[in-house]
This record gives sequence, C-alpha cells and structure tokens, in this order.
Amino acid sequence: MIRDVLKEVLETEPDIEVVAVAADAEEAIRLAGQVRPAVAVLDIRMPGGGARAAREIAVRFPGTAILAFSAYTDRLAMAELRTAGVSEYLAKGVPNTQIVDTVRRLGRLSPGEPAC
Amino acid sequence: MDEDRFRLLVQGVLDYGIFMLDPSGHIASWNAGAERIKGYTPGEIIGRHFSVFYPPEDIAAGKPGRELEIAVAEGRLEDEGWRIRKDGSRFWANVVITALVDEQGVLQGFGKVTRDVTERRAAQEELRRSEEHFRLLVHGVLDYGIFMLDPAGHISSWNAGAERIKGYSADEIIGQHFSVFYPPDDVTAGKPAWELETAVAAGRLEDEGWRIRKDGTRFWANVVITPLFDEHGKLRGFGKVTRDMTERRGAERALRERRRLVGHLVDAQEVERRRIAWDVHDESIQSMVAVGMRLQLLAGRVPEEHHDAVTALDDAVGTAVARLRSLVSRLRPPELDQQGLVEAVAGYLEEVSAQWGLTAQLHHELTVEPSPEAAITLYRICQEALSNIHKHARATRVDVRLSTVDKGMLLRVTDDGVGTTAGATDPGHGHFGLIEMRERAEAAHGWWSLSSTAGAGTTIECWLPTLPDEDR
Repeated sequence: MIRDVLKEVLETEPDIEVVAVAADAEEAIRLAGQVRPAVAVLDIRMPGGGARAAREIAVRFPGTAILAFSAYTDRLAMAELRTAGVSEYLAKGVPNTQIVDTVRRLGRLSPGEPAC
Repeated sequence: MDEDRFRLLVQGVLDYGIFMLDPSGHIASWNAGAERIKGYTPGEIIGRHFSVFYPPEDIAAGKPGRELEIAVAEGRLEDEGWRIRKDGSRFWANVVITALVDEQGVLQGFGKVTRDVTERRAAQEELRRSEEHFRLLVHGVLDYGIFMLDPAGHISSWNAGAERIKGYSADEIIGQHFSVFYPPDDVTAGKPAWELETAVAAGRLEDEGWRIRKDGTRFWANVVITPLFDEHGKLRGFGKVTRDMTERRGAERALRERRRLVGHLVDAQEVERRRIAWDVHDESIQSMVAVGMRLQLLAGRVPEEHHDAVTALDDAVGTAVARLRSLVSRLRPPELDQQGLVEAVAGYLEEVSAQWGLTAQLHHELTVEPSPEAAITLYRICQEALSNIHKHARATRVDVRLSTVDKGMLLRVTDDGVGTTAGATDPGHGHFGLIEMRERAEAAHGWWSLSSTAGAGTTIECWLPTLPDEDR
C-alpha cells in the first residue's frame, strides 16, 4: 500500500523517475543489479528483510544510495540500518516533501539513475 | 559433766526450738532456737501454757490438749500447722512432742521440738502450683495435640488439643498403641515403630504426613516425637506433639494455585498485548501512513479552495498515527525486547515526563539483567505506578530506582505528591491498579508494598527474585 503511494509521490516530481518497483528483498536486489538506480528506497519491513536487501545492494552496487523507510525510530534500529549500509533514514509518516527532498539530494550525489 | 554439755548443746541450737513442758503443758525450759523462732525470751515464756503458740481456732478446737493426750497415749506426736509468734505473726511449724515418762511409768512432762518450715512449705507450694499450671496449660492447649507414650508406644496421657484434632476422648485412647493414628499402609510399612526408634537414636523426630481421626477421616499432620529419659538415661517414654496442618496446607495450595493462575493470566495478557501491538504496527499504522501520503498528494491536486481541508485531514491522520505509535509502545515497548529493562524504563520516563509535566529521574544499579518475564513485570509495575502518580498524586518529581538486592531486583518509585491512603492498609479494597501491581509481583514470587504520608509523597517498592522459585 505504501509502496504504491510512494511510487506515485515520486513520479509526480518532474525530475524523478521511478525505474523499478520490487515486491520483496530478492526482487529488489535483482532489479537494483539490472537498472542500477541512483537511489533505492527500501521499506525495512519488506518481505524478505529490508536490512538484508540494503546490505546486499550496498555491497554489490555501491553506486546506488539507499534510503531506508521504517516505522522504528529507536536508536538500535537506526544503528542496525547504518551498519547495513543505509545512506539515509526516514521514519514512516514524515511529510511527502521530506521524502522527495531526501531522494533528490541522494540522487544528486549518486552516479546511478535516479530511481526507486 | 555429760549432762551439762548436752544442756549446752540444746541451749545453743538455733535451727530448732527445743523446750520442755510440764505434765499440764506449761513451759519449763527454753532454748536459743525457740527464742529465734517464736520471739519470746526465756523470762517471758517459762511458766506459761504452750497453747499460747496456737492460733485461736486451734485453741477453740481443743487442739493443744488433744496433742498432749495423743503424745501420752502413743509416746510421740508429729504435726505440721500454723503457729503464732510473740509479735502475732504466723509461721508454718513442724512439731514433734515426746512424752517423758520416768522409770515408774509416771509422766514427767513433754519434750517439744519445733521447726520453722514456712519457706520450705512456700517452695513446695510454689512447685506444686507451677506443676499444676503446666499441667493445665498442656491439658488445655487446643491447637496442639500433646500427649505421652510409654516406651512401647502406648498412649499414657491425652490433652484437649489431641481430643479436638483426633476425635478420641482420653478414656477411649489411653492405653492404646499410637499406631492407630497411622494409615494402614504406614502401619504395614512399620512406620510407627521406625519413628520411635529414630526419635531415640536422633533425640527427636519430626514428620509431616497423613494421619487418621477416630471417624476414619484423614488430616495432614505435623508430628514431633521427643524421647524422654530419666536421670539414669533410661527411656521412660515419648512426648508427642501433633498439629493439624490440613487447613494451612489447603490454604497454601490455594495460594499457589491462585499465583499460578495469575501468572498464566499475566503471560496471556502480555502475549495478547504483543499480538495487538504487532497488528496495530503492521496494519493500522502502515495503512494510515499511506492514507496520509495520499492526502498530501491530493492536497496538491485539488482546487485551491479545498487545499486547507485536505491538509487538515492529513494533519488528523498524522495525529492518529502518533497516537497509535504511543499505544504500540505502551502495549509492548520495543526497547524492552531489544535493549532491556533500563532503556525501556528510561524511554517511558522520557515520554511521560514530557507529556505529564513531571521531572523524572532514573537511577539504576542493576548488576544482573532481569529475565524477560521479570523485566516485563517490573516495567508494567513501573508503568502503573507512574500512571497512578499522574492521575492522583499531583506530584512534580518522580524518582525511579532499580537495584540488585537480596538475589533479586528492587524497583522503587518515589514521588513528592499529596500521598494516598488507598491500599496502604487494605490493598484488596477498591483500587484496581494497586491490586494488579501486587498480584503481578506475587505471581512472579516477589513482593510489592506501598508507603505514603499525607502531603509527603508516596513510595512504591517491588522486589522480584532473579531466579523464580516455582515450588515455593
């Protein structure tokens, strides 16, 4: 549900293109390899494990910046995400503008295609 | 010469009054002992009739004359009784009167030896009284069956408690063997005899087990058998003290059962809370976050005049999400599972102190991390205590202290509020939060207490053992 609306939020922005949408960790890793996006937005609670997907993508495709999207806001969860190679972290429920700004900022720093 | 020395001896004796009476009972001689005991000097008493020593009632009854008659008839008379001193006070006297007869058989007078045995009598009386009291005590005790067995195990005494507990009267049971109190299988196994042997060998035997009443019903008894030896070390019998523990045993079982049930209830409650927390977290919050995001998209697309209404909707959704997150945290604090008790309590204090305008401090001296069960119990009690403070105490400061004490963990929550009278004396009355805290602590084999002074704040203490002792 969040995935669909997130796609719509990002597509509404003229300078952001959603190049792929994955349903689980496996697909996310595979698609990241295929399309090499500038930014991968991962839900930490995605099927197959968002942290695992982040770790794989960070190691295998260092050109892709990772934005983690999670309901947890405690210190331990954040520390875990950082060690998994996550570049930025956003709590679910932040305004759309903040999501868009963060994706845009990460995309500028990244050599890959701006994508989700 | 010999007679003179003998006279000196008699004169000098102080412990016995030794004097002579003439045949009619008038005093004819007097020694130092008589003077000491009765108070008269020889000059005052010699020549007077010896009935002066007797109380008026004895004189009225003709006792002095009769004593002389008996002494004449039998040669000697011994008597114990009250006598009167010169100053009118009484003493308890042992008196021997001997008739003195010459060679022709003519009565010459009487020898009289008097001893003051008042103290001895008082001591005997005291002993008799104390033995009587002790006997009455043993006999009257109702809570303990106290009785004696002869060396072979036959019942030789019986008290009221034994009658109450076992149902036999003294007449019915004295003389019977004490094995009648044991269940048949114990008798077959030789337990009664074994218990006596063990008591003799070890000096004492204590046992708990089923015993049989006269009516055949069973009771759970605590029994102590003590062998009784005389001064030569010979076994004279046994003392047996029996208590009926049936009620206490029942009460203990009921309490254990109740704690077990409360324990299950608490566990079930935690499982259910965790399930609800996951559901709210995974379903409700996700959906509402998505709704919020969609409302924000919508706000950018609707005509200008509807923009504010949609934004307000999004704000409402945001508030609801925050509330749900707080609910999830209360239902199952994520820190408790991931980072332990101290972090969880710290997080909770931080949240509520901001929300309720309290200055909260956490001191922690835990040297052992509690088990997950103990952690959730302490966390819940802390939560309940703080919620009570918020609702009732009108406090500005709260101190929460966690420490390792007595092989367990002690939680102390102190506030500076108005104090409370609830629960201090009667925790079972009215205040559900207090009852729940106590029950949670007791279900975890710990204790909980509340102390409060009106106007000077309230302290709640709760202790849980590090290793729960299931069998207690």
